[in-house]
Amino acid sequence: MIRLDHVSFHYSNGPQVLKSICLSLEKGESVGLVGANGAGKSTLLKLLVGLVSGFEGEVKVAGLSMDKKNLAGIRAKVGYVFQDSDSQLFNNTVYDEIAFGPRNYGLSEEEVKKRVDEAMEKTGTAYLKDKPVYQMSGGEKRLVSIATILSMEPELILMDEPEAALDPRNRRRLIGLLKGLKPAKLIASHDLDMIMDTCERTILMHQGAIVADGPTDKILRDKELLESHDMELPLRLQNLE
Amino acid sequence: MSEIKNAIHEFGQLERLARRDQWVNHIHPLVLLGLTILYIAIVVSFGKYELFGLIGMGLYPLALFILADLKFGECLRRLRLVLPLVVFIGLFNPLLDKTPVSIGSIVLRGGWISMMTLILKGFFSVLASYILVATTPIVDLCRALRKIHVPQILVTQLLLTYRYISVLLSEVSRITQAYQLRAPGQKGVHFKLWGPLVGQLLLRSMDKAQIVYESMLLRGFNGEFREGRNAKLTLTDVLYGLFWTGAFVLLRRYVIIFLVGNLFV
Repeated sequence: MIRLDHVSFHYSNGPQVLKSICLSLEKGESVGLVGANGAGKSTLLKLLVGLVSGFEGEVKVAGLSMDKKNLAGIRAKVGYVFQDSDSQLFNNTVYDEIAFGPRNYGLSEEEVKKRVDEAMEKTGTAYLKDKPVYQMSGGEKRLVSIATILSMEPELILMDEPEAALDPRNRRRLIGLLKGLKPAKLIASHDLDMIMDTCERTILMHQGAIVADGPTDKILRDKELLESHDMELPLRLQNLE
Repeated sequence: MSEIKNAIHEFGQLERLARRDQWVNHIHPLVLLGLTILYIAIVVSFGKYELFGLIGMGLYPLALFILADLKFGECLRRLRLVLPLVVFIGLFNPLLDKTPVSIGSIVLRGGWISMMTLILKGFFSVLASYILVATTPIVDLCRALRKIHVPQILVTQLLLTYRYISVLLSEVSRITQAYQLRAPGQKGVHFKLWGPLVGQLLLRSMDKAQIVYESMLLRGFNGEFREGRNAKLTLTDVLYGLFWTGAFVLLRRYVIIFLVGNLFV
């Protein structure tokens, strides 16, 4: 699904944000991307959908090389959930929001409706169908923003801190939802407990480089590794006194 | 601050109005758009002393307010910022235009008539635009504009401007809220902070606007409109369009209030 070969990136006149990243992700895999603030997680995700350009190295997503002519093809196969759902949602009603992607890919209105209904059912947002986006709570917005990409039936889902601003109940709901999603997933998050629940593999980033890549259970239990890269053990593994 | 929140709310309300299940809301957006443009063009074409003929053009907004179940008071409240401007345009006419104009046996200074004509023209045009916005969602309008081959870049510009208004308003709301919480008892924002505040607002809304655009791109937006209704023109749409076009022509040709008045003489 994803192949990155020695990928480096820096913003113009800025410091190196990604340093020689090598990474691969297979079909159906669910991978957590963790690291302290400024580790380069969001930039890496944006690079995978062509929102940042001018990198060095080779990037292949969904079998296509990352270049201008393949952008539309890549984006058709990848669903990206932004960190800030508020800005991601711009239509007036939830239905239109979820239908936006399928309509842009030229599906018939009948097929669009089917996709929207399915996405709303999976995310439990059917009751919001006609609700104006600006009247929704943070949790509702998050679930709707996930529904907007599910309606495109992506092969790969990229999520940037999907649990941000969610209350415990909605967070639990999100975990259940993520576990049930079949496409490959790359989830950037600071919620290590959520990563433990949803991802079998975890990548640890530090200052723009990948410092560890392996089974979640091994990486997120390695106190020494985490602390040496400005991280902590997941809450459930901390000895709370 | 609450004014900004109200503005955001109003913004949503107008869109909800456009999406109601009224009969007029189902008329093809192209017909509604065409009629609005034609109506405004005809209203504007009245001469400066043709006040009585112009009054007859009030029939269209009147009928539409009834058909679309719009509330006149609500409309005036929403247009409260525009209407004084409309009045202001003709304000100096009575001073500048001293031509005598006779209405029946009364002779008036032409400036008064032309002032009222000008105000009415502005008022009717604003009303017609309000009716269009309150009966047609913006995406349907944009799609209609594309159908009549208005350049893609202009239509995209229109839609994005519309979408960014709410982004901008939310940012203004957040910034002023943060300011007021740390500046209790102050009325408005201190002028020394106007610069940084506006600068912040610009940078933040550019950032947000970028995310909105990116999220559109990531979901396949390529500048072409696939949102909104893609309804085909029905016989009802055509008849509705023809009816009003005919009515506009008649209202332009005959002074309806004289005709109605003659019935009672």
